[in-house]
Amino acid sequence: MENITNAITLVPLNHYILLSSIIFFIGIIGVLTRRNAIIVFMSIELMLNAVNLLLTAFSAYRGDAAGQVFVFFIMAVAAAEVAVGLAIIVMIYRNNNSIDIDLLNKLKN
Amino acid sequence: MSSIIIIAITAIVVLYLGLYKVKSALLPVSVLGLLGAAASLVCVWDKNISYFNDMLVFNNYAIAFSILLIATTILIFLLSGNYFEKISSNVAEYYTILLFALSGGVVMVSFQNMSMLFIGIEILSVSMYIMAGIKKTDSASNEAALKYFLMGSFATGILLFGIALIYGATGSFNLVQIAGKASEQPLLFYAGVIFMLIAMTFKVGVAPFHFWTPDVYQGAPTLVSSFMSTVVKTAGFAAFLRLFGSAFTSVPAIWTVTLVVMVVLTLLIGNITAAFQQNVKRMLAYSSISHAGYMLIAILLLGQASPNAILIYSVAYSIASVASFGVMVAVKEQKGSDDLSAFNGLGRTNPVLAFVMTVALCSLGGIPLTAGFFGKFYIFGVAIAANYTWLIAIAVLMAAVGIYYYFKVIIAMYLRESENSESIQLSLAYKFVLIFCIMITILLGIAPALITNIL
Amino acid sequence: MTEQLAWLIPVLPLIGFLINGLGYKKNPKGLVGLVGCATVLGSFILSILVFFDIKANGAKTIDLYEWISVGTLKIPFSFLIDQLTSIMLLIITGVGFLIHVYSTGYMHDDEGYGKYFAYLNLFVFFMLLLVLGSNYVIMFIGWEGVGLCSYLLIGFWFKKTEYANAAKKAFVMNRIGDLGFLIGIFMLFSTFGSISYADIFPQAQTASTAVLTTITLLLFVGAMGKSAQLPLYTWLPDAMAGPTPVSALIHAATMVTAGIYMIARSNILYVLSPISMAVVAGIGLATAIFAAVIALTQNDIKKVLAYSTVSQLGYMFLGLGVGAFTGAFFHVMTHAFFKALLFLGAGSVIHAMGGEQDMRQMGGLKKHLPITWFTMLMGTLAIAGIPPFSGFFSKDEILAHAFEVSPTIWAIGVGGALLTAFYMFRMFFLTFNGKFRGTEEQHHHLHESPASMTIPLIVLAVLSVFGGFVGVPEALHGSHLLNEYLSPVFGQSTQILNAAHHGHLSHETEYALMGASVLGVLISIFYAYTVYVRKEVVPAAETAPRSGLEKASYNKFYIDEIYNAVFTRPLDSLSQLFYRILDKSIIDGVVNGFGQLTQWSADKFRRIQTGYIGNYLFMMVVGIILILVFNFLF
Repeated sequence: MENITNAITLVPLNHYILLSSIIFFIGIIGVLTRRNAIIVFMSIELMLNAVNLLLTAFSAYRGDAAGQVFVFFIMAVAAAEVAVGLAIIVMIYRNNNSIDIDLLNKLKN
Repeated sequence: MSSIIIIAITAIVVLYLGLYKVKSALLPVSVLGLLGAAASLVCVWDKNISYFNDMLVFNNYAIAFSILLIATTILIFLLSGNYFEKISSNVAEYYTILLFALSGGVVMVSFQNMSMLFIGIEILSVSMYIMAGIKKTDSASNEAALKYFLMGSFATGILLFGIALIYGATGSFNLVQIAGKASEQPLLFYAGVIFMLIAMTFKVGVAPFHFWTPDVYQGAPTLVSSFMSTVVKTAGFAAFLRLFGSAFTSVPAIWTVTLVVMVVLTLLIGNITAAFQQNVKRMLAYSSISHAGYMLIAILLLGQASPNAILIYSVAYSIASVASFGVMVAVKEQKGSDDLSAFNGLGRTNPVLAFVMTVALCSLGGIPLTAGFFGKFYIFGVAIAANYTWLIAIAVLMAAVGIYYYFKVIIAMYLRESENSESIQLSLAYKFVLIFCIMITILLGIAPALITNIL
Repeated sequence: MTEQLAWLIPVLPLIGFLINGLGYKKNPKGLVGLVGCATVLGSFILSILVFFDIKANGAKTIDLYEWISVGTLKIPFSFLIDQLTSIMLLIITGVGFLIHVYSTGYMHDDEGYGKYFAYLNLFVFFMLLLVLGSNYVIMFIGWEGVGLCSYLLIGFWFKKTEYANAAKKAFVMNRIGDLGFLIGIFMLFSTFGSISYADIFPQAQTASTAVLTTITLLLFVGAMGKSAQLPLYTWLPDAMAGPTPVSALIHAATMVTAGIYMIARSNILYVLSPISMAVVAGIGLATAIFAAVIALTQNDIKKVLAYSTVSQLGYMFLGLGVGAFTGAFFHVMTHAFFKALLFLGAGSVIHAMGGEQDMRQMGGLKKHLPITWFTMLMGTLAIAGIPPFSGFFSKDEILAHAFEVSPTIWAIGVGGALLTAFYMFRMFFLTFNGKFRGTEEQHHHLHESPASMTIPLIVLAVLSVFGGFVGVPEALHGSHLLNEYLSPVFGQSTQILNAAHHGHLSHETEYALMGASVLGVLISIFYAYTVYVRKEVVPAAETAPRSGLEKASYNKFYIDEIYNAVFTRPLDSLSQLFYRILDKSIIDGVVNGFGQLTQWSADKFRRIQTGYIGNYLFMMVVGIILILVFNFLF
């Protein structure tokens, strides 16, 4: 544990912030550009993982375990979200034979 | 804390009751469980108990809002009588999921630690994704669920990013400690505050992050929409205020202007779009956006009076919403539609329903002698204290637009003729809920002192 | 005594509303009428008791309970009963009671009888709340409440789309007014830290003139909406769609005078702001003339009365604006008597004519409706300002004060009075004199109204004749009882005004002014007599070319042609111009334009709601980027 924390702090903190920001924005771009519901959802997961990385880095630099515990919370909740999300997507696939998010635009104005 | 446990256990018990096909026991058990949870909250009033290293703190603020959430849920449950049975065979799941959602709501109003905020929001949201799509074969319901789910998880991502940045800036998730270390690394902290602001405004449906609201409210089953527009919204605002009121008070400069713009946008978009809706359910959805705009004023101008203002507004708004959604469900059941024309002549065929709707809409519109008037009054009072007269001018003007579209329904009910003159039969519980809501609305309109000095 | 019973004054009509409202399907008609009338009568009797109590012991504040209290904001639910309130109470409950009695006859065959009385009682309740409240918030509640009842009663008979427009217009205009009022209240609170009269008025002089001007102008916007002043007046003529007793009670005697009451109540604030006084006087005068000119060519009997109401309200505002607070209030009182009388008389005519409101179909009703004829004659004389009828004294007082301020205002005001006399007698002659012009069936049907309708007419006629004697001016060797009674309310303002300008009129000047206006009015009436009785001119139908007047004039005096060219035709076309261009195009156009603007923006807002998740997410991200850019780059 001690070793890992030390290993993490070998890289400057700003690099972590930059890297996770980049991953986070890649996620956002994915959400914006893809039309397949599953891929959109995967992009959102990418955003969450960027956050996990950031939290871990902060946690290691601060020497405070709370950040890492929070990462576990995020993982657990994300798993629940995946379960529900995939169920919704499967339901839509059954009814429409497609998971293109642009096909769903009946509710508007 | 015991209230959260009671709610969660009730949910599991209800699930088992469903498994053993004891349909008639579902409602009584849920309501009893909720009453027990409310009672356990009343017992700890003024005690200020904290749990798990200050992760949850049940102060009076948390208790008052929790009781409001529980009471609203009870009212919606009583309305659901046989509503749920009509849309699906798995009735027990409705109760269970709504109960779980409620427990998430209680966590949201009592958190003292960002991790609890996140967990509360997620318990509530994930449950609501399921509820929005509960009509498995209905395409509108499917669409609502997917929209809600994708946009909701996107917002969650933003929320977490904000939390991570704030953690990086302060080294803590605890609200009090965050407030103490706000100035250590200002840039990270500011960025975190902005991201959290965006996520919270999304959750309560404030423009420009309101797009999911009308579509989801319209697509979801009506009683679920009523749950979303009352319990979910109240919990969202209570959490929003708790977060900003205790952790970010030292940096109002960075969010004031943003929130001012959001308030104005929300009021304009919500009210003006609602004015031209022909579908009452969608109109109420837009009007709920506009109510978020009014409530946001109390957060924008954070002060001593804000918690009270939000509480009064939430009480008035929740009760009136439950009543108006309840009437709408009854009308839709008979006429098969919730367009404006379905309300034609309701004053003649169903005077009681029409009266309930009238009082509820008057309250939503902020007409004096109803609770809604005081909701707006206190919110405007907050703005007066902060010398935001121009903002009040806009808010009052938009309230006038609001009254205009609420009156469209009232006109339809009393001044137009309907084709069929059958009256709608209502169950006893249904009547009880409607009359109860109306009585509370009028009572609070005459004697607002009953709740104005709670916090 | 007052302390124990005053709360019953508004509560009695509320009880009536509850009884009639809850049982509007089941209650028998007799019970409905009895409950409706008895509750208002009860309030009237209590109001009389309160009046004598106040007269003997002075103003009282009655605290009912602590209503709202948060931080520094404390609003007790309490009543302030002073001289001003006690007279308003008498007017509302007294005239209200007579109109309730009248309604039992007028609405007898209507299927919505119970609902009608429930609304009427509710109206009385809110109106009483409006005048009884001891602070602006209670006044505002009454203000909104009477608006709601008026809205419900305008649409009482209309089940079709035409109602929607009238109601919508009434609604939009009143909302603009209420907006001003509400912001005014908020500003009062932020300036004085309270919204109670008792706290605000004593410290009024501490506030700066600019603030007071803003507040008073905002309040006046509210008054403009409720009391139908330019440019927010067009809803009132449209409101005539409601049953006639409603027009008499709400749109003539009580609700529309709420604006006057509000300004009279806040008199000290207005006196301290000369600009606001000038604006009030200017708008009042303009409205008085403008509406009078329109009334000249209206053919619907209720429309004539409606425009006449707008015009008379203009006189009241003129009175307030020139500092004649007692005079304005005096006119509120006499106007309540004679205008309620005229409306009820018109109702009696309409009742006899089987719902016909067009005066071109009437004529010669004198012998069929003798009581209505006589009482309406009294009312018409009163509004025209013939001494010693009540309207003379009150109008004279306003005009005399106007002369003190500026003779020009006086001259214009008298001009309006001449128009008033003309159009009122035009209406009167067209209705009661000449030959009957309706259908045979209507002729057969003609009958005097039942006693329940004629008795209120007679009582109101007596009041219209003698009501003016409470305010006989000093110049006529009278003692101005009303002035004396109201002096505690207006005393301070009058002092301030007197200190500013002190040109008190001599008795000789007053005689000359009275003489001039009375002479003018008599000429005006005589002219109406020649046109509509001697020559029996009937206004042309909407479709016919307007040649009827010219043709008639060829036959008689040569002087008629000059008259025509100099007065009648320009006035006639002016009247048409005002009615068609200003009233129907510009003002309605602005209201509709406001509606279209909202519709347009609503359409744009709805366009953003495309239904595509992709677009929503995109717009969210745009929003996020804008917020980030705004917060971190600027």
